[in-house]
Amino acid sequence: METFINPKSLFHLLLLPCLLLYSSIAYNSSPVEAAMHTNNWAVLVCTSRFWFNYRHMANTLSLYRTVKRLGIPDERIILMLADDMACNTRNKYPAQVFNNENHRLNLYGDNVEVDYRGYEVTVENFLRVLTGRHETAVPRSKRLLSDEGSHILLYMTGHGGDEFLKFQDSEELQSHDLADAVKQMKEKHRFKELLIMVDTCQAATLFNQLQSPGVLAIGSSMKGENSYSHHLDSDVGVSVVDRFTYYTLAFFERLNIYDNASLSSLFSSYNPSLLMSTTYYRKDLYKRRLEEVPVTNFFGSVMETIHTDAAYKALSRRNSGRFEDEMSLDQSVHHIKRRMLIKVNDGDEIHDINPELLQGEEGASKCPWSTFRNKFQKAENVDSLLNYGLVAMIPLLVISTWLVQ
Amino acid sequence: MVLLQRPHILLLLIDTHQFLQCWIAFGSANEEGQQQEEFSEELLVKPLPDHKLLAHFHFQSSAPPSTSNGCHHHLFPKAISQLVQKFRVKEMELSFTQGRWNYESWGGFDPISSSNAKPPGVELWAVFDVPQHHIDASWKNLTHTLSGLFCASINFLESTATYSTPEWSFPPASGNVRYGTFPCEAVCTENLTPWLRLLPCRDKAGIALLLDRPSLYRGFYHSQRLHLTSTESSSEGIDSGIILEQTLTVVLQPNSERAIEVHASEKHVQPSWSLSSIFGKQVSGRCVLAKSSSVYLLLDWGLVAELKFPNKENGKSAANGLTSENFWSNPSFELSVNPDRIFLEESSSHSKSLSILYMFQVEKYSESEPFDIGLMWKVPVAWLCQQTPLHASRFFMGSGNERGAIAISLKSTQFTEGFMSANSKDGSCELRVDVFQVVPWYVKVYFHSLRVFVDQQPRAVSDFIEKIHVSPSKDKMSPGVMEVVLKLPCRVNTAALTIEFDKGFLRIDEYPPDANQGFDIPSAIISFPNFHASMVFLEDDSLNRSPLLSKFQHNQMHSVCTILWIIAQCAAKACC
Repeated sequence: METFINPKSLFHLLLLPCLLLYSSIAYNSSPVEAAMHTNNWAVLVCTSRFWFNYRHMANTLSLYRTVKRLGIPDERIILMLADDMACNTRNKYPAQVFNNENHRLNLYGDNVEVDYRGYEVTVENFLRVLTGRHETAVPRSKRLLSDEGSHILLYMTGHGGDEFLKFQDSEELQSHDLADAVKQMKEKHRFKELLIMVDTCQAATLFNQLQSPGVLAIGSSMKGENSYSHHLDSDVGVSVVDRFTYYTLAFFERLNIYDNASLSSLFSSYNPSLLMSTTYYRKDLYKRRLEEVPVTNFFGSVMETIHTDAAYKALSRRNSGRFEDEMSLDQSVHHIKRRMLIKVNDGDEIHDINPELLQGEEGASKCPWSTFRNKFQKAENVDSLLNYGLVAMIPLLVISTWLVQ
Repeated sequence: MVLLQRPHILLLLIDTHQFLQCWIAFGSANEEGQQQEEFSEELLVKPLPDHKLLAHFHFQSSAPPSTSNGCHHHLFPKAISQLVQKFRVKEMELSFTQGRWNYESWGGFDPISSSNAKPPGVELWAVFDVPQHHIDASWKNLTHTLSGLFCASINFLESTATYSTPEWSFPPASGNVRYGTFPCEAVCTENLTPWLRLLPCRDKAGIALLLDRPSLYRGFYHSQRLHLTSTESSSEGIDSGIILEQTLTVVLQPNSERAIEVHASEKHVQPSWSLSSIFGKQVSGRCVLAKSSSVYLLLDWGLVAELKFPNKENGKSAANGLTSENFWSNPSFELSVNPDRIFLEESSSHSKSLSILYMFQVEKYSESEPFDIGLMWKVPVAWLCQQTPLHASRFFMGSGNERGAIAISLKSTQFTEGFMSANSKDGSCELRVDVFQVVPWYVKVYFHSLRVFVDQQPRAVSDFIEKIHVSPSKDKMSPGVMEVVLKLPCRVNTAALTIEFDKGFLRIDEYPPDANQGFDIPSAIISFPNFHASMVFLEDDSLNRSPLLSKFQHNQMHSVCTILWIIAQCAAKACC
């Protein structure tokens, strides 16, 4: 009995300092920069009502289609449409919305899901979506459930002016409202990076008050300039798309999900003489270089696939930087280059808590608890955890039976 | 001593853990053997007198009561079962409608129109199984959940100013019913997408493959409806069984080049149609998860009376006439596919003629040999659909604050005489009419000004109103509800109810963004409880398997005549 108690009390004595050491290491490293980019969200807002604003609906639906095609699923898209154009009685082509007079593409499709429609598209609901402050009854499909690893694309279109954006011809969103919402989002770690794209008249003025880091903004025109529609469809009877969105789509229609076109190539593809306005980018809050950020970071959702041979084996995150044997055969060379792009720049992001913990482990080799914590973090599977637990019980069993005898 | 017992306890724990795992695995396997989930899909097509076509899709899914919490469903949509368990919904109906049901041309007295002619916009009513003081909270949470599930603004029904508590207008006549409608809600593809996701085969296989969105929304009327009932749970641990019925009713024009309206009396040959010409697609096989998958073609008795069947006189007798080819290929029309079975209506009170139902089984068809039923008319045929006993319409009189009044007018239809003579036993026969009307709070109705006109003569209210229940509106809090039971003489020609109102004052932020379009007032519901709109087809074993036809027989207890409402444009503009 005596001999058994001593190792046990030693175990308990070591437990407390080990826990303290672990927690101090964990909290010293700032979690935000260490957060990996894990998911992409899109919030697409059309703020205009009435049939003659058909083109704003077509703008938003074009972006919706692009973003879905490049990989973001409906669960991570919040689509807000202020009016119903597809089944409007004035629409000669029911359930169809076109953004080009050749009618080649039906933007409405068969599987569209609109989260906020009609009278629900208000400034209040928009700010609630951004900040996440909803009433308890609001369902999940209407919430922006992003976290600190999210990249969010926010696209807004409609009528706007100097430091405001008009919602449904009855209220306005001002630039300081937007800046305040973004600041709240940053405080609550609701995004890692945010790209705001606005297609209205004098769109650049909407970004004047933004201050939060990690935000990239692009507007279709500067102060004092208007954004124009592209062409009129004489069959439908109204203008069907705006110039800025038209050329944005022209850029994206050339891409597929594996391309590594960068954001700077998107920005340089805008020609002021074709747009009849000057596009404006706000880059000072965004730390990364635009040549190195692929557009699919925001406009698509390309999940990082790591090829493993065996099932249920815990994967060491430290070694994910080395990938020479991890490529699956059907991925192209471009894809390898793209992954290199991300890895080299986000070198600091791959190293999450584990290396610090491992250092801690070497420092306190007498602490068996931290090795258990390591194994717990590495084990990505409850089954393996159970195995470990059962295995750990065997020595206890042996010792106690030996003591009995 | 604890240490001595510890290893044994450890061993015991490990053993029981393993044993429990095995037991749970076997237990869940045993449950599935008891009662299975079922799904059936049906399509009913019916030609209409004004050269249009009615297509009625009917999908039914049922989940049996089960003993485990969070049971696994393999056919039944989990979203619905979670909704029913969480909010303890006993019965619920949600419909999305666009268009007006044209009662004069399309009839009102058959099972389809009486349950599928719905008010425009969104209509939701629900019965809950919770204590009275919790019902409002359950209703609010239910509206939010449904708005997320169906991509619609059903969450606007949460405010007390939009929903009401009918006393006796809905079948479970207790205080547990909540009813709300939102007339100006647009209905489009985004409402159909999640509705189709509730089906096991979605729109990828089976009859739902026909649902081509542009064809659907080009129709004159479309209404998608979801009705669920949950059976009483007998004990605490057992989840209740749920029956989910999804229907989609569309009225389409087969020949889209002919955009002109054709009256039923004109003698033009009806346009020929086929499923591929209407929907642009064919049925390439059934949904493999469906227990039954069939397509029906219904010829109304009014149409059958006009057609020339060679052995029509023997049509009432049983089987020998039914197998003759004349039933699907004769001088009047021709079907492109031979039906698998033909049903004659068993008996009817009007006894002029009987409806004929052709049934086509989809199991026999596949992708290489798709199913495409078509009807080709050879001679012009004109007929009339069976009407409701009284034809109802509602309109405004006066102008807002200047002698404004709402009037409901009831006119007898030509079918009324036939009914009355058949139904009157002694000299005094009475026709019972139930009226249920909800007006928003800003239409301030003066209930004391209710007047009744019978045959264009003003009469005393107490002579004709058997009972009336009124819930006056409170500003911004609750709408005005009126439920009236009228007893009219059977020989009545016209009857009218008028009630005066004033317009309430709306602040600038209470106007919707498109106030120039006016305000929509919810539809009133007129029902005739004494009439049963049912169609009984020859009893057969196979008939019991068809949920659609069993609905025809049993569930139509009264024909509900829903009237659609004129937008109060004049009234709103005068207010500004």
